Formats: sequence, structure tokens, C-alpha cells
Amino acid sequence: MRGVAARSMPTALLYLALIAVHAGEVHAGEDDDAAALTLTGASAPPAAAGSAAFFAETAYTEAQPRAGGSADAQRLSLEGSDDVRFAPQWRFVFADRLDLDWSGSWAGSQQVNTLKQAYLSWQPAAELLWDAGRVNVRQGVGYGFNPTDFFRAGALRSVESLDPNSLRDERLGTVMVRAETLWTNGALTALYAPRLARGPDNAPLSPDLGATNAAGRWLISLTQRLAGGFSPQWLLFGTDGGAAQAGVNATTLLGGATVAFLEASAGRSPSLYAEALDLPGAEALRARASAGFTYSARNKLSITLEYEYDGAAPGRNGWDALRAGDPENYGRYREFALAQQELTTRQSVFAFAAWQDLGLRHLDWTAFVRVDLVDHSRLPWTELRYHWSHIDAAIRWQDYVGGATTDFGAASTRQTWQAVFDYYLAL
Amino acid sequence: MFERRMVSAATGRPLLPLLPLLPLLPLLICCTVCASVCADTEDAGGARDAQQILAESDAIRNPNHSFGLTNTLTEYHNGHQTDTSTLQIYAKADTASGQYRNLIRFAAPARDQNKLMLKNGNDLWFYDPASQASVRISPQQRLLGQAANGDVVTVNLAHDYRAQLAGEEDVEDGDRVQHHCHKLNLTAAADDVTYARIEIWIDSGNQRPAKAKFYAESGQLLKTAYYRRYQRELNVERPTETVIIDGLDRQWVTIMRYTDYAWRDVPDSWLQRDYLPHFKP
Repeated sequence: MRGVAARSMPTALLYLALIAVHAGEVHAGEDDDAAALTLTGASAPPAAAGSAAFFAETAYTEAQPRAGGSADAQRLSLEGSDDVRFAPQWRFVFADRLDLDWSGSWAGSQQVNTLKQAYLSWQPAAELLWDAGRVNVRQGVGYGFNPTDFFRAGALRSVESLDPNSLRDERLGTVMVRAETLWTNGALTALYAPRLARGPDNAPLSPDLGATNAAGRWLISLTQRLAGGFSPQWLLFGTDGGAAQAGVNATTLLGGATVAFLEASAGRSPSLYAEALDLPGAEALRARASAGFTYSARNKLSITLEYEYDGAAPGRNGWDALRAGDPENYGRYREFALAQQELTTRQSVFAFAAWQDLGLRHLDWTAFVRVDLVDHSRLPWTELRYHWSHIDAAIRWQDYVGGATTDFGAASTRQTWQAVFDYYLAL
Repeated sequence: MFERRMVSAATGRPLLPLLPLLPLLPLLICCTVCASVCADTEDAGGARDAQQILAESDAIRNPNHSFGLTNTLTEYHNGHQTDTSTLQIYAKADTASGQYRNLIRFAAPARDQNKLMLKNGNDLWFYDPASQASVRISPQQRLLGQAANGDVVTVNLAHDYRAQLAGEEDVEDGDRVQHHCHKLNLTAAADDVTYARIEIWIDSGNQRPAKAKFYAESGQLLKTAYYRRYQRELNVERPTETVIIDGLDRQWVTIMRYTDYAWRDVPDSWLQRDYLPHFKP
């Protein structure tokens, strides 16, 4: 027993030491809590900001052209927006963006103005709204490709980044009349956008009505919350002289950390290639879809994986033939696909990650990669961003990887670096 | 032989240090059985009481009609202020489920101005006016720095959690005033809530929440909250500040201050994704 007692003594001392350490931790925790409770919070809550906002961005880009050497470019973007209620039932919504791009000297700068929104809104009852003017209508639950976002076609005047979020921020609205009626857990929207011009106008300050209103278009959408909180959105879209396209958007929660989404549209239409080259192509039933999920970890990392399908874009055989064919037609097709914000080929995968406070408060990391599943070219993009109260500083990198005529390998630049400074002001 | 047998199956470590307790084993077993029987007996009645206590505490944190308030979040790290943001919150109880639906407008900082977050049951949507994009997010996805989305929305804990009375304790609230409290253990009744488990201390005299600890499914402490600065708002004495201390880094503190309480009725039809582009406070 003496032996047992002798062996137990160091163990007992160890327990005592552990208890002391644990007690120390408890006391340290209590001390931390006590220190936290001496903090008083903001001396006075900041006055609630109004609705007007101003945003300025300056960017310096260093690119590596495929031809060799290097090229630099600079950009200044200015954006203002407001949402003014000037009578109890009336509002005016406005948003405009001006991009100034130059390389070397300011003298050769190019200006592009994008009138994002300018419309009147009338709400005669809580459940009824009418809007008239240039409205930025955006549909869809996908991240990288939105087949139900029917008003995306032709809406980009200036492409400053291939980040899908930037593409959404920088687009034109469409001139339309829109009516929306709502009820508990449901809404019905109908809109008509008339034809106002023949085609796009590249004049720097043009409202460019032809980019978005070159044909009459209409849309009806219906949302109804069903059992279990499932709220799909159904859409029907049409253009003057074209067949109607049906669409659906649906999301669901998988546990507490994952959202799954599905976005799809289908209808009779010519192929993208026939549309691009104004060829008399036969219309056929074609479907477009994007589906995936977003997982959010507790450490503020969110990851999205999305599969994208565009039935109007060429598959492997069509794409190979297009690449091997007339270079002019190939170029026209690519330009058209970009302007319409369609996939260049039939299938791709899009992976997106965002990490807030990456090892350092206010340091955010964003990255995506788009992989063309038809020709296996890819576009990786990443951004590291630090933000202060009104200013952000960011550095971006992107790389076009692939053979000379592949989806991403055909870009004139191979790799670009960009330094960006943003300024935000709320008025 | 004896030593080789006395090994913990779970850890493989010798159990010899427990040998001196062997004579007390019958007594220990007896006490454990008694405690278990007593706990079971209390459980049936205690669980109901605990749920009622929690509901009464919810009623102190949350007005019983549709309301609005301003929530100013101030973040500190190592005692230095690092961030501040302001949210305008509109909350309305769902008559069917009893849970609150929330519409939240980001008023500051400038970068986030006019962004919106909607919570209607499992539906959590984030709307950015710059892109007109509405994105569905999960309860775990964070938009507000340290504070989880579930921290800023109005939540009836009694609706989302099963409460069990875990005893009576004297604890300090956020004003460092000591209260004699019921300690309740809350376990999630659904898998889409922000926290898997909560410990909350509620004043046994007036049902005011004094302190709470929030845990992940793994058992890890995520944050500690202290309630303080009780003031009369919308006819009831309510906590107008919550101090949140991060569970991993206790030097990371967020103070949520609630001001501008007002009765505000938001139509039911506005609490859906389709209305977000039209919302104007």
C-alpha cells in the first residue's frame, strides 16, 4: 500500500496542479469578462444614414499580353445613386456609373457612362406597385451563370472585371413599365419593355437604349411559398417575334450551413451561333441551367460550387468546328456570347470562395475559378481586400489558361494584376 | 494481473489513482441512483416550468407586437474599438409559428448602406441594391463581422429551443449587478438555428435575462452574452445593451445597443424576397 500511496502522491500533485491551472483559466475568463463589461459601446449611435450613396474606384492594371511584353492601364470609376421618396406614394430611383479608362496619358482616355437605373415608382397600396423608367431587373439564384436573368442580354457597356459580382454591379437597366402585386408569401410581377432603338450606341455618354431596348420584351413572374417554406419562382419571358421561354428559380436549406440552388430556363430558340451570325437556323427546344450549393463554415469561409449548362451554346463537336473555321465568324460569335452573357460553350463549372477576416480583421479573400468542360480552358481569379471605414484597398490577379482558340485561352492577355482603391460615401 | 485489468477502456490509462475511492463505491452508486431518480422526477415538471421561464424571458427581450429599433454594433479588440455598424430592424411575429420575421436594413458603414437582410423562418435572404441581387444565405453565413445573423434578428428562444432547468446560481449581469438566477440549458429543437446549445441565466424574481453562453454542436463555446442597461421601452423594462464576448478570443467584444424602439407594423406581404428591391423605410 505504501508503494501505491507513493505512486499516488505525484498523481495527486498533478491533479492539484491541473485544478490550479483550470481555476486560473476560470479566473482569467472572469477577468476578461469583467474587462469587457467596462466597455461602453459607441458614445452615441451614428445617425442613420440617408439613401444617397457615392462610390469611387481607381484601378491600376498590369497585363501580360500573349504577344509578349507588358501593358498597363488605369481606370477611374464614379458612381452615384439615390432613392428619394418625394410624396407618400411616390419615389424616384436613380443610379449612374461613369468609367474612365486610359493607358499612359490621360489624353487618350475613353469614357463610358452606364445609366443603371432612373425610374419612378408609385405604390398606391401596400400590396401594389407600379414602376416606369429604366429599371435594373435581375432574376436568378445562380452565382456564375443566370439563365433566368433574361434582361442581362446586352446590358454591359463596360466590362471592368470578370467577377460575376462586378458584372452585376455594372450593368444597364432596361426601359420598362412594371407592375407588381403582393400577398402574404407570394408575388406576381408583369412587365413590358418596348422597342426604343435599333441597336447599341457606343457614344460615351449615350443612354444606349438600343443595348437594352432593341426589341420589345415582356416578363411574368410568380412566387408562392409552399409547404415547408419552399418558395420557387416561376417565370415566363418573351420577345417580339420570338418563342416564349419558361424559367424557374428554387433554393433550399440543407442543415444550418448549406444552401442548394437550381435555376433553369427552356424554350424554342435558335442556336447562339446562328443568332450571332444572323443565320437562318432552325429553332429547337433548348434548355439552360445552373445548379449548385453554397456551404458556409463558422470561420466565415463560404464556398460555392456550381454546374452550368447552356443548350444554345455549341457542344464539343460544334465548338471544335467553330474554332477550326473562319476566324472572323469565330470572333463575332465570341463577342456576341459575351454581350449576351451566355456561356461560350455548352458546359462549365464555377467554384467560388469568400473568406471574411482571413487571419486579420478586415482582410477579406475572394476567389473563383471557371472551368470550361468542353475545351478544358479555365479562368482563375482572386482578390485580397482590406477595408477601413470608408476606403478599401485590394489587389487582384487573374489568369487565362488554355490553348489559343479555347474559351479562356483566346484572350489577348494571359495574366493581369490589378491594384484597386475604393471610396464609399453615404449621404 | 490486477494492474493490467484496471485500465480504462476508453483511454487505455491506468485507473490506479482512483483506488483510494473504492471503499466509497457503494455510497457513490447509491447517491448516483438517487440523484438520477430525483432528476427524472423533476424533469417531467421542471421541463415545462423551464420552457415557461424562457418564454417569459423572451417577452422581456422582445415586444409582443410588431416593432422596429436601431441596433448599433460596436466591436472591440484588446479594448480598442475596431468597427461599428448600424442596423435598422423591423420585427413581426408570425401568428402561425409564433416566431419573429425580421427585415434588417444596413444603415452604416457607407459600404453596406441600404443592403437588406430578410429572415422569414428558414428563409434568409441578403439583398444588395448595387446589383439588385437577392442571394439566399444559410443561418451560419455571417454578414456582420463577429455577430452572427442570429444575434441581430429578433428570436423567441422558447420557440427554437427546448429548455431544461439546470439549477439556481448567483451571477452578475452586464451591469455587474448580482442576480439570483434560474440556469436553463437550451437544446436546439431544429437544425437550422444559429447555436446548437445555449446556457442562459434568468433572474428568478423577474425573469430578466442576465447572461447566456452559446455553444457549437461540437460543444465549443462560441460566445458569452451579458444583458445590461435595462430601461423602459415599449411598456416593459428591457435590456438596451448586450455585451458579446467571443468564445475563442475573449479580447474580441461586441456591444449591441438598441435604440429608437417604436411600434411599427410591416405588412406581411413585404416579408418576402420579391419585395426586397422595393423596400424603402
